[in-house]
This record gives sequence, C-alpha cells and structure tokens, in this order.
Amino acid sequence: MATGEAVLPPLGSEDLARSQDRSRVVDARLSGHRLRLFWLLVGPGILAMLGENDGPSMISYATTGATYGLGFFVPFVIVTFAMAAVCQEMAMRVGAVTHRGYGELVLQRYGKAWGWFGAGDLLFTNLVTLIAEFVAIRVGLAYFHLGPKVAAALGVALVLFTLSGGRYWRWERIVLGLAAFNGLFLVAAILVKPHVGTLVHSLTFTPLPGGSLNTLLLLVASTIGATVTPWMIFFQQSASADKGMTPADVRHGRIDTVTGAVLAAVFGIGALIAGAALATHNGGAINGLAGAGFPAALRRVAGSAVGTVFALGLIEAGAVAILTISASTAYAAGECIGVTHSFNSTWRAAAIFHGANIGVALVAAAVVLIPGAPLLSIALNANVLATVLLPVALVFLLMLANDRELMGRWVNRRARNLVAVAIAAFVTLAGTAYAVDSFLQTIHAIPS
Amino acid sequence: MTEPPDIDEELVMFLERDQLVADTSVPVSPAVLGRRVRLGLWALRGFVLVTSAMVIITFVSDLH
Repeated sequence: MATGEAVLPPLGSEDLARSQDRSRVVDARLSGHRLRLFWLLVGPGILAMLGENDGPSMISYATTGATYGLGFFVPFVIVTFAMAAVCQEMAMRVGAVTHRGYGELVLQRYGKAWGWFGAGDLLFTNLVTLIAEFVAIRVGLAYFHLGPKVAAALGVALVLFTLSGGRYWRWERIVLGLAAFNGLFLVAAILVKPHVGTLVHSLTFTPLPGGSLNTLLLLVASTIGATVTPWMIFFQQSASADKGMTPADVRHGRIDTVTGAVLAAVFGIGALIAGAALATHNGGAINGLAGAGFPAALRRVAGSAVGTVFALGLIEAGAVAILTISASTAYAAGECIGVTHSFNSTWRAAAIFHGANIGVALVAAAVVLIPGAPLLSIALNANVLATVLLPVALVFLLMLANDRELMGRWVNRRARNLVAVAIAAFVTLAGTAYAVDSFLQTIHAIPS
Repeated sequence: MTEPPDIDEELVMFLERDQLVADTSVPVSPAVLGRRVRLGLWALRGFVLVTSAMVIITFVSDLH
C-alpha cells in the first residue's frame, strides 16, 4: 500500500483485477479472519504440488507399489516432497518479494542465453510431459470405454474453460477444485484395505527394494523426478507474482506450500498402496504408461469400486497437470519474450500468454491422436529430459533467493541455504545418474 | 473541496508500487557476478552441453 503519495502510472485491467483480489486479502488481514485469509492466500503451492502428482507420476507410484510393495518407498516419497517444499518455498518467496516470474528474472539478471535456454528446455519438456498427461487421461477414460478423441477434447476444453474466467483468481479456484479430486488415490488406498502393520513398518525404510544398485538408483531418481521438476519452479514463482502476493504473505505462502506437499505426499502414497495390492498378483508386469491395465487389474483384485476410483483419479491427475503445466509454459513464454503474462490480462493484451497456454495443450492433444505415435517412449523419457534443466533451474533459484539486491532482508538464511544446497546437490546427482544410466543403456555400454 | 478519489485509484491503493504492471515491465539490472560465480556458471554450461547430448541421444534412440 505504497501508492498513495505519488502520481500513479497508467493502470491496466491487470492492475485493477489484482488490486481487487488484494483488497479482500487486506480486509481479511485487518479484520483478523484467519481462515478467510488462509483461503484467499492458498493456491500456487497446492497447485504446484498436486499438479506434480500427475498421471505418469501416479502410475509410476502404483507401479513401484505393485513391483516392490510398500517398504522403503512410503518414507522416501515423504522425504522427496519435503525436498520439494524447500525448493518451492524459495520460488514462492522470490515471486512474492520481486513480483516477477522466474523466467524473466533469470533472463534479466543472468543473461539472455540462460533465460532462453531455461524457457526453451521447459517448453520442450512440458510438451513431452503434456503428451504423457493426455495418455494418462486416455488410460483412465479407457476404463469407461471412451477413446483417445474424448481424452484430447476433454484436456483442451478444460484449458479453454479455465481461461474463460479472465482472472487469475477464477483460474486458480477452478483448478484447485479439480485438484481436490487427487484425493481419489487416498480413497483407492483405503478401499484396498492395506495391512496397517506393514504400512507402519515401511516407515523404517525397510525392506529395501531388491535388485541391483543400478535398479535402486533408477527408482530413486525417477521418484525424485516425480516430485521436484523445473515446471513447478517456473509455475509457483510466476503464479505467486500473478496472484499479487507480497512479502507480508510469505508466511501464508509457506503454509500453502507445506499443505500442498503434505497432500501430495499422502495422495502419492495412496497410489503406492493401491498399486501394492497387486504386488502378489503379477502387478509388476503392468508397468509404465503401458499400465492401461491398472484400473482393470485393481477391479479384479480389489473390486470394481477401486478400479473406478483409480481410473477417475488418473483422469483428474492428467487434467490438473495439463492446466498447471500449460500455465507454466505460458508464463515462461510471456516472460522471456517480454510481453504481458497474466491470467488477469485480456486475450488481446496477452495474446502470446493465452496463445501459448492453449497452443501447447493443442499440440500435445494432436500428438496423442496421431496413429502409431511412440507415446510410451515419449512419456517414459519425460523425466530424463527434465534432468538437464532441473540442476540449472535449482542453481538459478538458489542464486535468486540469495540475491540481496532483489530480495533485501528476504534472502535465504544460512541454515536454509545449507539445506537447499544439499537438496540441490542430491537432486542433481540423482538426476544426472539417471541420465547417464539411461544413456549408457542406450549405447549398450551396460545391460538394460 | 477536494475531488473524491477515482474508483480505480482507490482500488489500486491495495497494490504495492512495485507490483504495478508499469513497474514490473521495467527490467531489473543485470547481476554483477564474482569470479567464482562466473566460473561456476561456465561449469554449468559444460554440464548442460554434456547431459544435453546424452539425453538427446537417449530420447531419439528410444523413439525408434
């Protein structure tokens, strides 16, 4: 509230829309309505976390459960989401303090080459991931005897529908409403009636998954890849700025981020538990996105309700990820080109932003409809592609969060830096090991 | 007698000055990087080149 004394610059519809949202936040804060304030300020953190509980991730969790049971991976999923929360908190804080997105800050502070590399790699990785999301929706819809055209139409229609509100607030609330259905995976877990003793025992990180060190490394890397990703960093920082968050909201931004991480971990473990119901029924054979058989296999083993809930969960997971990942692409495009990039802007004022949002979803939907397209290969490689960008994204996020000129007193404290650097190093190491291992298998230097 | 404030101006009071589009449209200045950071970024460039080559080969190979 520092605009009163000076002459105001020309105001646009984006400023007015954002100020209306902020007026509600200020009202709630002044009147001491804590729950209302929480309700108004949650969003970017929960959406980033539940958006990453996407179709391929949930199938990956279920596959892990079906192959290895619960041991090790239940606590490991909790650890990975704790790591994600640390990274995402920095993105939220930088967005709230600077009011600028990740892409534009990297481009302006560290040079066009890094900015465009980040945006270009993000665009490609997001496109590949979006294709995988449409495949996940297709897998879920196939359970109800619906085809790929319905999956493609549903995904694109959702993007158009959420954009039609013309406001960040409306977009965020619609996607949050959809994201609540990520809880279907928890319902599926309850319905398969897991053995509580086994679940509690798994919290001791035992038993370790069988197989070679190489296999364990791949599983660890792919689980991290399902939790900490570049698009989440781009998305949460830009969405926090677009929402109009300020340094005064950082505490609520942290609550939002941790709430998202807890929900995502619980629902992800739900998919793991549901998949583990198939562990003694050759469930490991239903792997990857070829796992179109997951809902049907669950129906056979645990009843039709579980199959139906799991199939609906996959449709939700794919749909929410399409919306959030398309949004992160649009933010990155607008920020790097240097044009208006806000859900609060009109279609005419933010043509590139809205065009990128719809365009990337349309291209992914079109690829899914191409007969004979190597969808499985594309989907399985989405995480490998992200391994190049993730270390770069984390390094620049750390640099931004430590940039005193930008962040002032909101820079990372020493303890937070130690934790963040350790996480970035671990994630980079695991991701790089994953990329190197995949490469060595491709050139047949090691057995696949 | 002063004029009543314009409704738009009254609303915009809820925004911080540096939140206005007119302000966020102005680029921030490039960072002044120390020698160690510049060296680190060159190492990052090397990492990107090597891993990009590996990932592209893996990706293209898996498509076939």
